[in-house]
Amino acid sequence: MTAAETLTAQPVAAPRRGWRRTVRGSEFTLVTIALIGFVALTVATDGNMLTAGTLAAFFRFLAVPMVIGLAQMTVLAIGQMNLSVGVLTGFCAMVSAWLMLAAGWPAVLAVPGALLLGALVGLVNGILVVRTRINAFIVTLATMTIVDGLRYGVNGPRTYQDYSPGLQRLGQASVLGIPVVFIVAVLVAVAVWLFFARTVAGRHLLASGGSPFAARLSGVSNDRSILVAHTVSGLLAGVAAVLTLAQSGSVNATIGDDLLLPSFAAPIIGGVALAGGVVSVLGTSVAAFIVRLVDVTQAQFGINRRWVDLIVGAVVLGAVLVGAVRQRLSRRSS
Amino acid sequence: MTDAAPPATSAPPRSLPLWANPRIGLVVLLTALVALFATLRPGFLNTYLTLVPLQADISVYVVVGLAQLAVLSLGHMNMAVGRMAAFSAFAAGLVHDRFDVSLPVALLAGMAAAGLLGALAGLIITATGVNSFVVTLALDFALIGLVSLLYAEFTPGVAFAGQPDGMAQMRADTFADYCVGDVCGPPIPLQVPFALVAVLLVGLVFRWSRVGREVLMVGANEKAAKLSGIPVRARIIQAHALSGVLAGLAGFLLAASNGAFSASIGDGFLLPSFLAPVLGGTLLVGGAVSVLGTVLGTAIVQVIYKGLNLLQFQVDELKLYIGLILLLALSLDRVRHVVAEKRGVPA
Repeated sequence: MTAAETLTAQPVAAPRRGWRRTVRGSEFTLVTIALIGFVALTVATDGNMLTAGTLAAFFRFLAVPMVIGLAQMTVLAIGQMNLSVGVLTGFCAMVSAWLMLAAGWPAVLAVPGALLLGALVGLVNGILVVRTRINAFIVTLATMTIVDGLRYGVNGPRTYQDYSPGLQRLGQASVLGIPVVFIVAVLVAVAVWLFFARTVAGRHLLASGGSPFAARLSGVSNDRSILVAHTVSGLLAGVAAVLTLAQSGSVNATIGDDLLLPSFAAPIIGGVALAGGVVSVLGTSVAAFIVRLVDVTQAQFGINRRWVDLIVGAVVLGAVLVGAVRQRLSRRSS
Repeated sequence: MTDAAPPATSAPPRSLPLWANPRIGLVVLLTALVALFATLRPGFLNTYLTLVPLQADISVYVVVGLAQLAVLSLGHMNMAVGRMAAFSAFAAGLVHDRFDVSLPVALLAGMAAAGLLGALAGLIITATGVNSFVVTLALDFALIGLVSLLYAEFTPGVAFAGQPDGMAQMRADTFADYCVGDVCGPPIPLQVPFALVAVLLVGLVFRWSRVGREVLMVGANEKAAKLSGIPVRARIIQAHALSGVLAGLAGFLLAASNGAFSASIGDGFLLPSFLAPVLGGTLLVGGAVSVLGTVLGTAIVQVIYKGLNLLQFQVDELKLYIGLILLLALSLDRVRHVVAEKRGVPA
């Protein structure tokens, strides 16, 4: 066992107790809630949820919140925040659309362009945090403002559409009834999970997040962890931008405005600690699923849009309270 | 920065050279900006077109900054500052709409409502031990929904039709409109005294009052504070309640500037609420606040907005420059810090 692994104190469950741990874990609770919610919604809408169109729409619009939640989670892993994820998604989408329409690039080049741009801005965030030693919250607050300005600068308030028929067809396409964009989001989630579970860089990230001091003593470069975390976060924002481009027929400078709060909601409901050192890809993804359920319920029953925010806020608070109670109980029992 | 640091840092202030005082830098920057904009656009010094609206804006956003500063003192954050302001404006509008109360009563009702929200946030934080960021973020989510639902329920649309007597005057008048005999007041909008009182009170609380000092000590080191017999929980709740009350005041002042209690009040408060205290040298880790720095930080940001506006910059360029200036100011502050450390002076 490497030093980093011991330090992160990830629940490396002993196989015998595995099942009980699974049942007690917050991820199990979340999956249960998600399933119950989904079944309840299906019953309440007389099975309308299970028609191909509704189901496809459900998963198609789950893709971006999921990826953006993971983008935030990557930075939360080292105990920092990235306020620029939302506007960065919009910026990457706008630049990518500009590359295709104004610069005449094919989608095959514009898509990697968006990813690269996201990673680059993330890297700049990381460099600023490392170089200036200023709190990442403040640094990304500043870069959020800057990127917000740049996002509007690309095309003003005007809309880009018809940038790439191929990409947009892909956004509407389905394989076995499952939208392609959702499959991409799941693949990204698996990649992020592999990154944290199996790669040295990912384990180092968790080590730095769990205890920077101990990580340094074990030969982990905290500065490099910060750079990697912010770069990956930016890259994921780029992925979210590409998914947005694919699934919606047009993009404008407001893309990403409504992503910042959900980007925090998903990991927090999913049980990711703000202090760093712990991540949960499954929890974050399932939390995004639950938020989407609330969204669809609103649409199905024609409830005032504003109830969604109220309920999501209540769910986040509830998840936080349950987490606190659970922690207290497990402390008492141990 | 050490405006109201705990007395533990007993380094004699004499040893602080002028250049190491961050507020001097802010004053220099502010003066330079005003001079720059006045040269580029002489209209910048026009009293009624620029200076009066500028003062009204500064008044609103100083109070917004102070609302954030109240919890930054603990090392906490209040992500719901804008929505608390919106809720306050709603409460003020509602009591006026239903009971036809006067302006001071509506103001007090609004501030009390927002203060209760702040106290609620503090209560949840102390009861669960959960990060203030998460709690206030969730509260913000919930309030976004709640405020719009309440407006839909109690008003014909997204704003109250009526407003208390005096609101219109707060919007349009300056002290120059009030004369005693031949002597008229200076051209200062009526929001300014509200903000001034808030600045003085918050400054006094954190510098001289027992509660304020204890809040700062909790921010500096919660464990040590607890061991010294400070009621940590009560202080956390009080600081959050103060944040709510100030957010409420800011919401009211903005409603006065806009001329209506509407649902959109507080939408743009979050960024400025952090900008001003951070530019002014308040740290996010808690334990030290700078009220004067917050005033200067707000003034700088608003002067930049107004100046670039007059130079007919687009909104997107405005944002770009504000972000760059924030980064630049913080980096310079860092440089100053490092240099000061090297020379062995506390910065």
